[in-house]
Amino acid sequence: MASTGMGTETGAIIAVPTASKEAGLSNLRSTALPLGLAAIVIAGWQLAVMLGNIPTVILPSPISIAKYIFERYDLLLMHAVPTTLESAAGFVLATLLGIALAIIISYSQIAREALYPNLVFFQLIPKIALAPLFIIWLGIGSQSRIAFAVFIAFFPVVISTTAGFASVDKGMLRLCHALTASEWQIFTSVRFPAALPFIFSGMKIAITLAIIGVIIGEFITAQAGLGYLIIFATARADTEISMAAIVVLCICGLLLYGLVALGEAIANRFYSADNT
Amino acid sequence: MLAAESAVDAVAAPPPLVSVTNVQKTYFTRQAPVHAVASASVNVARGEFVSLLGPSGCGKSTLLMMIAGLERPTGGSILLGGSEVKQPRRDIGVIFQDATLLPWKSALENVLFPIRILKLPIEAYRQRAGELLNMVGLSGFEHKKPSQLSGGMRQRVAICRALIHDPDILLMDEPFSALDAITRDQMNVALSEILETYKKTVIFVTHSIREAAFLSDRVVVMGGRPSTIMLDMQMPFRRPRRFEIEETPEFAAVCRKLRLTIEQAHGSPQPAQSPAVETRTLTFE
Repeated sequence: MASTGMGTETGAIIAVPTASKEAGLSNLRSTALPLGLAAIVIAGWQLAVMLGNIPTVILPSPISIAKYIFERYDLLLMHAVPTTLESAAGFVLATLLGIALAIIISYSQIAREALYPNLVFFQLIPKIALAPLFIIWLGIGSQSRIAFAVFIAFFPVVISTTAGFASVDKGMLRLCHALTASEWQIFTSVRFPAALPFIFSGMKIAITLAIIGVIIGEFITAQAGLGYLIIFATARADTEISMAAIVVLCICGLLLYGLVALGEAIANRFYSADNT
Repeated sequence: MLAAESAVDAVAAPPPLVSVTNVQKTYFTRQAPVHAVASASVNVARGEFVSLLGPSGCGKSTLLMMIAGLERPTGGSILLGGSEVKQPRRDIGVIFQDATLLPWKSALENVLFPIRILKLPIEAYRQRAGELLNMVGLSGFEHKKPSQLSGGMRQRVAICRALIHDPDILLMDEPFSALDAITRDQMNVALSEILETYKKTVIFVTHSIREAAFLSDRVVVMGGRPSTIMLDMQMPFRRPRRFEIEETPEFAAVCRKLRLTIEQAHGSPQPAQSPAVETRTLTFE
């Protein structure tokens, strides 16, 4: 499989996470350490705001942000729903498009030679610069934000899935041919399962990119959504709302990422090299 | 050494199961064409165990892959049960140097893999898969995944997988060369035991003289550049074979004969780089 000019991004994709069986103690440590550090940073922020007399417009304190989220959760939820749904839609379409392109690239040499260099070149375009054009092409509705999310999120899926299809043991393919297996049988029983870890690591990058795509779309034009709320509040110098919206956005992002990780865990139950 | 074969012909025995006649394989590269096999003719009777022996790069694996239908010869013919081999066939079981198991499937599921590919009824073969694993000493490991098995165990699973759909012919391409010497000896004994239970016609590629002599009914030495068949020799040992035969003078004599043939083809380990020093050290009595 050609591996010409893969960017730095792909390097991270190809490093497939290996399931490590850590002891309970080091497991506890690996959750306690980052949480502890985060708690210290937040506490330091709170103290700095209180002791430094920093005005809320510049930097609201964590407690005031939390209070705002608690009081206006209905408003935040109302804006979180379209952002989350559009991100999820963009992600699903990006994944399907990415896998479909990877199949074409893997099975057709002509398609590979014609498509692959263009895909890599395409990746060099600062895609965010094209966001306003999507409004011209597709209007101000959610379709233009979803399309833009697909546009910036599909690439890592293509690259990692292609690498996954190519990762199949050559001996295994020879065995399949010796058994008179059809290409479809080889795809379903060998290639696709072998590529699953690669596909999921591509999907994990795609979900974060899809959220970025939707937020940028909302920055440009929207009547609702967390991106819209952030722009709206910032224009009125209401930093508290902006920060609250960002916190909710993080939660939505975690939720979506968690769903992908859950999907990976389910796939792992059937396609892991480790015993269940 | 063709005496034995012509004697069989004289009794008007059934035609050989595998018949390789003047087979050639040339790879056309951008530079000069590479002659992997110049001319090879071998007949294998039903139930016979024939080894293709030779050093690396002598074309023995290429010949095996052509018999498996995974590669096409550029000349000559390969008949299997009277019909020409044009593509892979279901009456052949192939075992490669690496076990090539699906890492996410259990040992039992890996053994059943050909059944799924050949769309045979899985349930009907489940018991046979268990029996095969039991036969190779893997009962209790049916539900382990390959990562939990040793190299020798994985290769045993691969042997079971090759036997599951009951092919007439087993083609084995250096199946034990990735294993350590002790495991390899154990696998040789295990294989001859398996073949006493499940009678098969076997073509076995190896570069180990001892392994070929221990396992085979006939050893075919390949070598030379371009590669041809140097020797086709009947092994004079009775079955079932146990390890003790390796200590007999007959075994040593057979191995010596095989080794000399290989050395004739490729020259003895000659002092190529610095003859002045090497020849002096070699001229001891």
